[in-house]
Amino acid sequence: MKRSVIFVVAVVLVITALLMIGKYMSRNSGGNSTVAAVFQPASEGPKKGDPAPDFTLKTLEGKPLQLSSLHGKAVMVNFWATWCEPCKIETPWLVELQKKYGDQGFQVLGVAMDDAGEKAIGEFAHKMQMNYPVLLGTEKVADQYGGVEGLPTNYFLDRSGKVIGVERGLVSESVLVDNIVAALGNPAGSNSKSSTASAQ
Amino acid sequence: MKKTITAFLGLLLFIGSGLVAAQQPDPAQRVTFEPMSTIHVAPGKATPVQFIFRVKPGLHINSNKPSAPELIPTVLHFSLPGDVVIGRVVYPPGQITSFPFDPTQKLSVYSGDVAIKARVVAPGSAAIGTYTIHANLRYQACDNNACYPPKTLPVTFNVSVGSSGHRAPRARPTRTSPHIHSN
Repeated sequence: MKRSVIFVVAVVLVITALLMIGKYMSRNSGGNSTVAAVFQPASEGPKKGDPAPDFTLKTLEGKPLQLSSLHGKAVMVNFWATWCEPCKIETPWLVELQKKYGDQGFQVLGVAMDDAGEKAIGEFAHKMQMNYPVLLGTEKVADQYGGVEGLPTNYFLDRSGKVIGVERGLVSESVLVDNIVAALGNPAGSNSKSSTASAQ
Repeated sequence: MKKTITAFLGLLLFIGSGLVAAQQPDPAQRVTFEPMSTIHVAPGKATPVQFIFRVKPGLHINSNKPSAPELIPTVLHFSLPGDVVIGRVVYPPGQITSFPFDPTQKLSVYSGDVAIKARVVAPGSAAIGTYTIHANLRYQACDNNACYPPKTLPVTFNVSVGSSGHRAPRARPTRTSPHIHSN
């Protein structure tokens, strides 16, 4: 009899303790989380100096485009989405930068990370007069690049395909230019004029 | 006997740790739901309710009527059992705000606490009992310089249908909204 009472009390205590721990942890990781915690990408993704993970994605025209086929060019991989307001601010800059630096071997790749569908993405690209390839992004490619939680996210690759800069979130146009100039000026990806990889 | 107790306590700990894990909010969620007490409604009557959602500090989500068609509106969807109906859902007006990324553009957004109002209605023919209602909040969050993928936040609350809106008899089984298992 005594044993069964101890047993029941132990069970009740264990359950109560677990529920209290759960409630405490739930409260602590709930609404009071700081924004800084939100910004952390799911994983690191490639860092400065790393070779950019290769991928093949479908363009809006339905053709496959392989990143490594652009070796020899400075590439800006721009992850964006139609629902992303900061991306809409950035896109006209990219159009201008493609015009300005395209002759020097610069190429923007716009990787659309939304499920709006090809038609909606195509209409948006047309409306924004995107003068560079727009690729239909996939989770797999996003994972290769650290999850790409926040948009826009931009990776700058030098002519050898190495990452020379990462910008998460909207940054000023001059920061983009600095990265592009660095990417264009480093054929071997060494001695790069470093751009700050701003994990905001 | 000792072995049995140890095994049972081990099993309880295993289940308990699962419970603890289940109570953890998804860290990828940028909006949380304020748990609410059981809503009491009498058959043939309506009870006004308010669903409170909390947008994490430093973030905003689009309002129910965002300022551009490509922006994703905040919408609360309900899965209802036949005996409980949700009347018209009233969303708060968006805060018309401009952000550092484009001071010239005004966006209609929610931040902080967001109260979505609705009326829970039990038809006159509704069976007395407690119903678990499942809903989903669809939203898309941004901060001052980046936007995050659209998310769906599952929401659960109980509605007790009883005479004069009082607590329903305990003997009645709990019903759940269709296609979704109760917690």
